Amino acid sequence: MTKDPYELDVRPLLKSGSDPFQAIMSAVDGLAPGQPLKLSATFRPVPLFSVMAGRGFAHQDQPLGNGDWEVLFTPEEQVDEVRVSAGDTDLDTWPDPARQLDLTDLDPPEPMVRILAVVEKMQAGEVLFALLAREPLFLYPELAKRGHKWAGNFDAAGETYRILIRVGGRKGHENAAD
Amino acid sequence: MFGATLSRWTMSYFAAALIFLAIGEVMMVLGFGYPVSSIEAPETLALVHTIALGWLSLLMAGALLQFVPVLVGRPLSLPGLALPALVLLVVGITGLVLGFVSLAGAGSFSPLLLPFGATVTIAGFGLLVIVFATTLWQARPLPLPARFVAVGLGSLVATIALGGTYAFVLAGLSDTQAAIDLTLEGLSLHAALGLGGWLSFTTMGVSYRLLTMFMLSPDRERQSSRIVWALGAAALGIVACIVPMILSGSAGRVVLLLIAALAGVIAIGIYMADIVRIYRGRKRKLIELNSRAGIGAFAALTVATIFFLALAVSGQIERGVGPLVYLVTFGWLTGMGLAQLYKIVPFITWLECYGPLLGRMPTPRVQDLVVETRAAFWFRLFYLTVIVASAALCLDNASLFRVSSLGQLIAVNALLWEFVATRRLSNVPSNLRLSGGFARPHLFFPPFQSRRQP
Repeated sequence: MTKDPYELDVRPLLKSGSDPFQAIMSAVDGLAPGQPLKLSATFRPVPLFSVMAGRGFAHQDQPLGNGDWEVLFTPEEQVDEVRVSAGDTDLDTWPDPARQLDLTDLDPPEPMVRILAVVEKMQAGEVLFALLAREPLFLYPELAKRGHKWAGNFDAAGETYRILIRVGGRKGHENAAD
Repeated sequence: MFGATLSRWTMSYFAAALIFLAIGEVMMVLGFGYPVSSIEAPETLALVHTIALGWLSLLMAGALLQFVPVLVGRPLSLPGLALPALVLLVVGITGLVLGFVSLAGAGSFSPLLLPFGATVTIAGFGLLVIVFATTLWQARPLPLPARFVAVGLGSLVATIALGGTYAFVLAGLSDTQAAIDLTLEGLSLHAALGLGGWLSFTTMGVSYRLLTMFMLSPDRERQSSRIVWALGAAALGIVACIVPMILSGSAGRVVLLLIAALAGVIAIGIYMADIVRIYRGRKRKLIELNSRAGIGAFAALTVATIFFLALAVSGQIERGVGPLVYLVTFGWLTGMGLAQLYKIVPFITWLECYGPLLGRMPTPRVQDLVVETRAAFWFRLFYLTVIVASAALCLDNASLFRVSSLGQLIAVNALLWEFVATRRLSNVPSNLRLSGGFARPHLFFPPFQSRRQP
């Protein structure tokens, strides 16, 4: 279901010397879900690419021959919302993963067994990145009980579940050893 | 919080369900109800409700308490209602069955047991419907398997509303013309909504999720599965709409029933194609016994559907309805129920006992809690008895039916014993059994001071 792009020509604005940024952003806000934006400008609007990427748009640019550029911004396929563990989970402060696991070929509950085994051997504060074929619904409560934080979602194709687990301090389950 | 925890009362529902199944099998061995009595006889109604409510509905309710959170990825709402619902259902179903027994002239129970049992049963189901409906409502938009469950719950509400009406009419408490008309003409609707809607349609929806999970098959929502849902929901909706038509005496009910039957048959056809695709598309080449034993149930559903078509085309539905209902109830629903219990019981037990220990010390695998070769024999015996008993019903041979029911009673009890052994961790190698000093799980009743969340 491809929608017709909304066409916005900011060349008159640029030629009159005004900043087209507000016009572009209000055009983006007015887009229907899934609708692309076709932008015409007098130069290649490189700074805009990262702004639009941050709003979930990919870009394709082509010169129009007379020094002008045309850029097609297409909304990237919706990915699942990220599910995160309860409490304060600020992913920006997490370090890069220290361990990576591909568990997509294992049947449940083996991915859960492997993840918990690896997590037990990691240092507090380290992060594990794992790929699974299913969302590990029974793993979440066990991670929470052991004081670990997590964040995960499906990839854009909806086939692989990606989870980041940050190992918490050693607490919880004090009764496991008694 | 996202995620699914162990359902506190599921194992108790399963235990009650299996006891009702064993009682039902004993009734069949003793020749209580069809085929020794007629299909309409009170004895048969006692047997049918022991199986459909006591066994299959309690099994379904226990399974949904555990799996609705898995289907929608969020915890159950109002989990505290699960225990009162179980108590009401066990009391209500027992009262209902004894009410039918007293209608049959056996035993000297009050005839009021029937409406009493029905009312208490409806109250029990009512609590469960509140639990599931609230959970589903809060989880919108629903994934496809959960939409099957929603339609199944709607069918359950319609089924028990009809059933409650019949109970009051049969006990002589209601003599309004509308209620009597419903009792005379609506019985097939009650059976279709109960067996086809609540039990079968819900099983179909849950199977989409469980089978792909157990066999590592692709589980993206397919267009064909959505069509199964739409056709099945339409068929059940039409059947439910016939109830007000009976009350108003409108014509055209036969045509509508035919349309509903056709939609239902097409839905089952597409569903079976989906199931074959799930089995073929699995990443896991060696499949476990629950998935192998499930094949027998799918075969029974296919044979039952073809049998239904043949009966409908030759105009002999009345004559073949006994074997047809038997095949659906025992081959498809009971076969599927026992097969999936063989996975669910060890999984729940394993998670309960070893979940907190995972990664910290050596723990057994889920497969270590069962001995598949032993159970496989009992599943074979079970399906063999289903085939022989179905043939016996087609041939009107009550003795053969009772003998094969005896074989089925043995198979069911052997499987029941396998579940007990699993709960007791009897099959786990002794060096791994109770590592960490964890206590053995309670057989079917949760401890009152549990570490688990309800």
